Amino acid sequence: MIGLRSWVARRLLLGVAQTAAVVLLVFALTEALPGDAAVALAGDQPDPERITAIREALHLDRPAYERLADWAAGLLHGDFGTSLASGRPVSSYIADGFGPTVLLAVLTMGLLVPAGVGLGVLAARHEGRLADRLVSSVTLGVYAVPEFAFGVLLITVFALRLGWLPPTAVGYGTDLLAHPAALVLPVLVLLSRPVCSLARLVRAGMIDALASPYVAQARRYGISGARIRYAHALPNAIAPAAQQLARTIDWLLCGVIVVEALYVIPGLGTVLMNAVAERDVPVVQGLAVVFGLTAVVLNLGADLVVHRFSPRAGVAA
Amino acid sequence: MKTLAGIRPGRFTLGLVIVAVPLALALLGPLFAGGSSGPRAPSFTLGGGHWLGTDFVGRDVWQQVLLGGQSVVLVALAATALAYLVALPLGLISALTHRTWLEELLMRPVDVLLAVPSLLLILLVAAVFSPGAVGLSLLVALVNFPDAARIVRAAAAEAASRPAVEALRMQGETWWRMAVGYVGRSIARTLAADAGVRLTGVLYLVATAAFLGVGVEPDAADWAVMVDRNRTGLFVQPWAVVVPALLIVALTMGSNLLFDAVLQRRKRT
Repeated sequence: MIGLRSWVARRLLLGVAQTAAVVLLVFALTEALPGDAAVALAGDQPDPERITAIREALHLDRPAYERLADWAAGLLHGDFGTSLASGRPVSSYIADGFGPTVLLAVLTMGLLVPAGVGLGVLAARHEGRLADRLVSSVTLGVYAVPEFAFGVLLITVFALRLGWLPPTAVGYGTDLLAHPAALVLPVLVLLSRPVCSLARLVRAGMIDALASPYVAQARRYGISGARIRYAHALPNAIAPAAQQLARTIDWLLCGVIVVEALYVIPGLGTVLMNAVAERDVPVVQGLAVVFGLTAVVLNLGADLVVHRFSPRAGVAA
Repeated sequence: MKTLAGIRPGRFTLGLVIVAVPLALALLGPLFAGGSSGPRAPSFTLGGGHWLGTDFVGRDVWQQVLLGGQSVVLVALAATALAYLVALPLGLISALTHRTWLEELLMRPVDVLLAVPSLLLILLVAAVFSPGAVGLSLLVALVNFPDAARIVRAAAAEAASRPAVEALRMQGETWWRMAVGYVGRSIARTLAADAGVRLTGVLYLVATAAFLGVGVEPDAADWAVMVDRNRTGLFVQPWAVVVPALLIVALTMGSNLLFDAVLQRRKRT
């Protein structure tokens, strides 16, 4: 285990650098505005009053490094600034959208692992036969399909033709748990890509593991098939799949934005899209920091977990 | 392995058939669409001389379908090419250099960029600028090049450590001949495989960005925009949404099946 500690230190350092990069990148946004930022942001209503208000709200009369220091210090205290459109603190926007997004994420993650591993093991057990061919082709096909196209087709079939489920979450407010039917399609769409990727990796890992000498030896000992599969082969098959978790996190963060827009769920993604449409820069920045840092932390966590379980597998750092 | 050999040609044909329809519509559609859009009909109607009905502003859906595939396919191709234009030199230089500081300088920022969720970066820029099709392909290339650069570097580092490169170096061959003539050629296959996978990812990203309104006009003839804008009329006139959505599904699904089959075939030979 020589070098483990230094690897962890390097990985943590990379995480810190990524955090700093996210904060800098998000801040650079207002700096990158062409010409006078206040005029550019006023957009369709360029009356002088509004421009002055924006200039004051963003403290554009002060040098950039001072604003960066203030903003970063505010972030540490949970102060994300105030919205240009409404004057409300950005943190209240985040608080509003937090519940539905976390609910979606938790449901998806809770279903992702059993569904992905289950499908992967099923395909590996029947390698080359009908079940495997079916699972492999479907997972390979659905894997690349954008959520919005898949989701809109599901709405057409299940809400429009069959009338089983509500087409969107309009009218249910933020309390989505009270209306589980409205959650079925969003979670299904959110699951589609990560489940396919996970199932394919688990299948490949399982096929390798089941062909290995230690599984043959376990068979000779007369250990039951289920125990060989789940207690011996699966842990080894999971390691390469876990490495791909980072990419899955990226997909889930993107997927949440699309799914919330498609099913009109009032979560963080919807707040972000509304702010983008209104060019409400402080709100966009606050949400971008939340999304970006979530990605950095989850990536770091995934890498550390993978490294703990399979130190042989090289993880970038 | 016997059974595997049985599957792949099937999957190749399947992918080819699925991808052929949207690809043909995207590339040849504009030729058959005709110039003028004709008189505007009422929104979201069926029939009345319009094969697939009308869309949210009363345009003919079939004509929009013919016109709307080009942007997705062209932006995706341009973005993939651009990503490699940056990733190739970056990866090759950092793999072939013997100066550690240069390698760190080139590759560390790439590691840092990898952490930013791709769609988030695109939305961030869209909040400030209003990128057009060119801007969107630049953005998608920007979020794709870090991963491509890492793959180029990993493949090139393996090729660069071979004795052949050492021999070339001792003979005093130029850097260009070593990097492009030998290393570049020996990693071409790995790159072709990665390019296929990346193109499907880029197609996904371009379509999703267009659906969210990035890089396109709000009434553009674009399959993803059609899905978004015609959603309000889904219950009255589903064709305006279902047809472009099906085409996008077929395009991404088919290209993924096709690339996978080609890769498997290569591996065996």
